[in-house]
Amino acid sequence: MIAALVDIGSLFKVFYASLAAGVGVAIAFSLAIYGTTRAAERRRGGRAGAAAAFGTLAAVATLVSLGAAVYGVVLVAHK
Amino acid sequence: MGGSELVLVIVVVTALAFDVTNGFHDTANVVATAISTHALPPRVAIAGASILNFVGAFVSLKVAATVAQGFVTGSAVTTTVVFCGLVGAIAWNLITWYFGLPSSSSHALIGGLVGSVIVARGFAQVSGSGLLGKLIVPAIVAPVVAFVVAGTAILIIYRIVGRLAPGPVNRGFRAGQIASSALLALSHGTNDAQKTMGVITLALISHGDVAAKGFHVPVWVVLSAASAIALGTFSGGWRIIRTMGTRIIKMDPAQGFAAQGAGAAVILAASSVGYPLSTTHVISGGIMGAGAAKRVSAVRWGLAGNIAAAWALTLPLAALFGGATYAVSSLFGSGALGPVLISAAALSLLAIAVVRRLQRAQPAPVAQ
Repeated sequence: MIAALVDIGSLFKVFYASLAAGVGVAIAFSLAIYGTTRAAERRRGGRAGAAAAFGTLAAVATLVSLGAAVYGVVLVAHK
Repeated sequence: MGGSELVLVIVVVTALAFDVTNGFHDTANVVATAISTHALPPRVAIAGASILNFVGAFVSLKVAATVAQGFVTGSAVTTTVVFCGLVGAIAWNLITWYFGLPSSSSHALIGGLVGSVIVARGFAQVSGSGLLGKLIVPAIVAPVVAFVVAGTAILIIYRIVGRLAPGPVNRGFRAGQIASSALLALSHGTNDAQKTMGVITLALISHGDVAAKGFHVPVWVVLSAASAIALGTFSGGWRIIRTMGTRIIKMDPAQGFAAQGAGAAVILAASSVGYPLSTTHVISGGIMGAGAAKRVSAVRWGLAGNIAAAWALTLPLAALFGGATYAVSSLFGSGALGPVLISAAALSLLAIAVVRRLQRAQPAPVAQ
């Protein structure tokens, strides 16, 4: 009976969209911090190649985090 | 100005007053985690949240449509019914604020309205399926989703950054919390300011100023609701900030980031399908999820139980206050006299409270 009154599809949409966005941004931002911290360590150790690789990881992960946040807002605004 | 116009003006002013209390009451949801982890100074956090609440109110109008059309029969609504519902919601908001309980302003608003309609026109005018499908079930599901999202997020975060030195990790997540606070404030404005827009539009429809077909919110309603919630947020509700920020769990910046990110994700996802969610429920679920995933005993479950009790009581008690207000108002007839007298009584109580507060704040006279 409850299933007939409740829009289960919309509830699932809220669940998987929240999970994808919330966990996705957390992973991306953690990788940004990981990349930044490791890049600094490698730079101090004189390993320029590894520092550049971790720096790239940090930059890409930061862009993904910001992009996901902006995309979420734009998606809601166009509904 | 005729009697019906006077009641409409009182309704709009009362709705905006509710919006101010909503911002004031819910400031905690938006800024508490960022303040408690020292990601942002309190004044900066509140000022930023206030601006983003204002901006967020312009993002979407889907929730406003649900509030205006989803819970009660349009023909059952009069401006007096809306007014009494708003008084019920404001009364419940102020009571829970006084006790420092983060209850839901959204459920108070809808509860007040439903109670007022029941007393005015009977149970038949309330949409049981609308209440269950668009309010009660999402209200139960949303905090659970936020709990799961925040819990999953913090476990993955600890997995990724767990072996790094805590200094840079905490600095990084504090910076991240500035962004997640901003997103949460934006989503709060998007979801919560719309509820007031929905109620004002409902009053305008019942008064005949806005057509019932083809739901449309006038620009002045959007602008005034956005300004009111921003003003309320800027005033800040320190009692609830303390409960949310430090009393449920002691948070580290990563947990604050996970809780806020989960809250913003759930609110934005729910806004996109038109659910008038409680920001309070969602962010509380996120905070508990971020705490429980690290250590179940880190969450003060007794306090969490009190908060849950306030959630469960909000809808029926706001309905009771809304219905009681309508019953009192109807003693003075169906015209403007009831709302005018109730407004005068409410303003008098407010004035007494302000005077008493000012008297308490005055320094004691120095002995000669």
